[in-house]
Amino acid sequence: MGASVGQAESRRAGRWSGVDAKLGVTAALLLVILVVLLVLAPSFFRPNNLVNVLVQTSSLGLMAVGMAPVMIAGGIDLSSPANMALGAVLGAMFMQAGGNPVVGCLIMVVAATLVGLLNGVAVALLGMIPFVVTLATMTVATGAAVWLTHSVSVSGFPDSFYDVLLARLGGIPVSVYVLIAAVIILGAAMNGTPFGRYLYAIGINPRAARVARVPVRAATCASYAVSGLMAGLTAVLLSARLGSASANMGNDGVVLDVVSACVVGGVSIYGGSGYVTGAALGALVITLLSNNLNLLGVSYYLNLMTKGVVIIGFVALDGLRRRAS
Amino acid sequence: MTEAAYLSMQGLSKAYPGVVALRAANLEVRRGEAVALMGANGAGKSTLMNVLGGVTAPDAGSITIDGSPVRLRTARDALAHGIAFVHQELAMLPSMTVAENVFADGFPTRFGIVDGATMRRDAAELLVRLGCNLPTDLAVETLGPGDRQMVEIARALRRAPRIVIFDEPTSSLTNNEKRRLFEIVQGLKRDGVAIIYITHFVDEIFEICDRVTVMRSGSTVATRAIAETSPTEIVRLMLGEADSGERLADEASSAGPLLLEVSGLCGGILRDIDFSLRAGEIVGLWGLLGSGRTELMRALIGLDPIDAGALRWRAADELRPVTPNELHQIAGIVTEDRRGEGLLLPLSTRANLSLASLRSLLTPLGLIDRNKEEGLAADLIGRLHIMVSGSAQAVGTLSGGNQQKVVVGRWLATEPRLFLLDEPTRGLDVGAKSEILKLTAALARAGAAVLVISSEPEELMRICDRYLVMSRGRLTAQMPGSATRAELLSAVSATPLRMSAA
Repeated sequence: MGASVGQAESRRAGRWSGVDAKLGVTAALLLVILVVLLVLAPSFFRPNNLVNVLVQTSSLGLMAVGMAPVMIAGGIDLSSPANMALGAVLGAMFMQAGGNPVVGCLIMVVAATLVGLLNGVAVALLGMIPFVVTLATMTVATGAAVWLTHSVSVSGFPDSFYDVLLARLGGIPVSVYVLIAAVIILGAAMNGTPFGRYLYAIGINPRAARVARVPVRAATCASYAVSGLMAGLTAVLLSARLGSASANMGNDGVVLDVVSACVVGGVSIYGGSGYVTGAALGALVITLLSNNLNLLGVSYYLNLMTKGVVIIGFVALDGLRRRAS
Repeated sequence: MTEAAYLSMQGLSKAYPGVVALRAANLEVRRGEAVALMGANGAGKSTLMNVLGGVTAPDAGSITIDGSPVRLRTARDALAHGIAFVHQELAMLPSMTVAENVFADGFPTRFGIVDGATMRRDAAELLVRLGCNLPTDLAVETLGPGDRQMVEIARALRRAPRIVIFDEPTSSLTNNEKRRLFEIVQGLKRDGVAIIYITHFVDEIFEICDRVTVMRSGSTVATRAIAETSPTEIVRLMLGEADSGERLADEASSAGPLLLEVSGLCGGILRDIDFSLRAGEIVGLWGLLGSGRTELMRALIGLDPIDAGALRWRAADELRPVTPNELHQIAGIVTEDRRGEGLLLPLSTRANLSLASLRSLLTPLGLIDRNKEEGLAADLIGRLHIMVSGSAQAVGTLSGGNQQKVVVGRWLATEPRLFLLDEPTRGLDVGAKSEILKLTAALARAGAAVLVISSEPEELMRICDRYLVMSRGRLTAQMPGSATRAELLSAVSATPLRMSAA
């Protein structure tokens, strides 16, 4: 019977067949950028520069892999960078006042997670529109961070804070390992747990998910908390890297970069498809486009235009895929 | 009466990929006459009206108005030929005023600026002609359904149309509002307007229509003068003379213990619903579209809110109160909208089958055990004979019958003791229909209580042990499984006078 013949082969074919092609496009773009850099700016491949790129990718990447579950469930979290900045400022002020660095880190992570949870409650329980809610949260978080710091950056952390977070293992900084761990754990959660399955289901068709007993509200709410958690981790790593925390850490440009990383990484803005891994790859592409085209002597403005065109291209691709299916 | 038809639609056909929506449909309406257009869901009424509205281009067929052939390519063409639609109240702009809604498809202007005074005056004039004194600067969202309907009618009538189509105009009206609507229809008839009246309520057409055209499966199967037909005949024409097929389940010889008891359920259009279900029995929820049968099923498991009423469910050998949400955790449900509410189309057959059982498939780490999931999927694919290339095949690429088996299979995996099936065989071919019905019978034999809705009485007759008859949001009768087709038909076409003390 047809059913049994196909089963072995389908097991090999991958669980979410068809979606994998999305990662292919992202990987291909990445390859093109690397080849261009190899030909035109071989200095890019100096080990120091490569490490630098990975470190830059890690902050954007962490926020992007936090955004991915939200977008997969059909939502969006525009507050993530502002949330990150507020968490960073709170923890930094604690440490500046002589607080324990471990507690300082916890403050950053917990504060950001709570803000994420707040977004989740507003969206999932109160039925508010994600775009508007998180835009408002973004404004509130930024306002609070500026108000708390009087627009002055907060620095003067204990040495142990830097010692741990700026350490390198095998030449690679801790932040890169954190991103890799986040990709592995969230990737497993999205692909291998009921939670992840529920988010895909909600993103594809919330009505069908509801009928199939998917806990739509709880899962949606949790997705925003995850985004907050990742913003909190970013706050810790970025504060250490910059040696200070400020309201300006999560300026408006970062929001676009986070959403772009997801879209370029094949996470659909319509919800229901995409991978955490893709979001991390997307963050790498966006980082390269943002920070490394200047190695080619490209002006900052042309750089911005290139980035914008790539993003529009991927949004268009997303729309085409959606229409095709 | 040998007067020529004012509107004549002849031999209209329309096919979409995989579906024939219209098969040489014919419709004639004379001046000053109201023709009822009736048919079950999917019979082709909407497509036929969309052709008339210039929204859908037919593949074949012709339309003549007042003796001259016309081509209706756009909604504007339809308007130019004096065709107007009265939609259900959904087509309103709720935050805008009555006057703005009446003139929404073309505001009167002076020097390019909307002329508010003229608009309000003309709107008031139109409404007065409808016997209705609404302030024209009220926001439509503050009006009740009856007044909204009046605004909708005023909008349709403002260009003095010669043909008016009423699309289920009474579905949300009170009795008084309905009377007012009927008077307007009579008035339009006196003015020589040709009227097409679409409704699901058989009794209405005997009050205000002159003829009735019945559609079934894309064809116009019969046209009758109202004086020469009966409600039962119309229902029979709508549902067809399908051969009933053999009975698939013996009537439950001895029904099991009481599983579910519903009392005083109200909500939406539902009023005072009382009934109970026993283990092992299949109960047919029988009523026409709009009778509240779907709403009842949804209300039971919390998909639609309820205002009052109590549910009791047997747990640990006694009936205990449950909420609809709790019942949802117990019941398997197949809604009538398979693609919209049943399946996650882009996902694999396996992921769709396991969705409601994921928590029973976990490894100690909390991950979904792939082998267990595959085992569950393979087992269901085998048991239900789902035709797939493999469990990884996207469910959206399966045939309708196999898709429906996936929806049913998902619940089988949870071993529910209550099954709610709303039109489980809609759109399936004969073979798939039989399979789904057999599956339903097997569920009951295994001890579940099954509540099933179908528009086709012969389907219910193949499996049901008992019928609950619904009309206008109420349970109007109970019938035994031995009820004949004629008895079922007359139960829903009669005006709901008999109230059973179920």
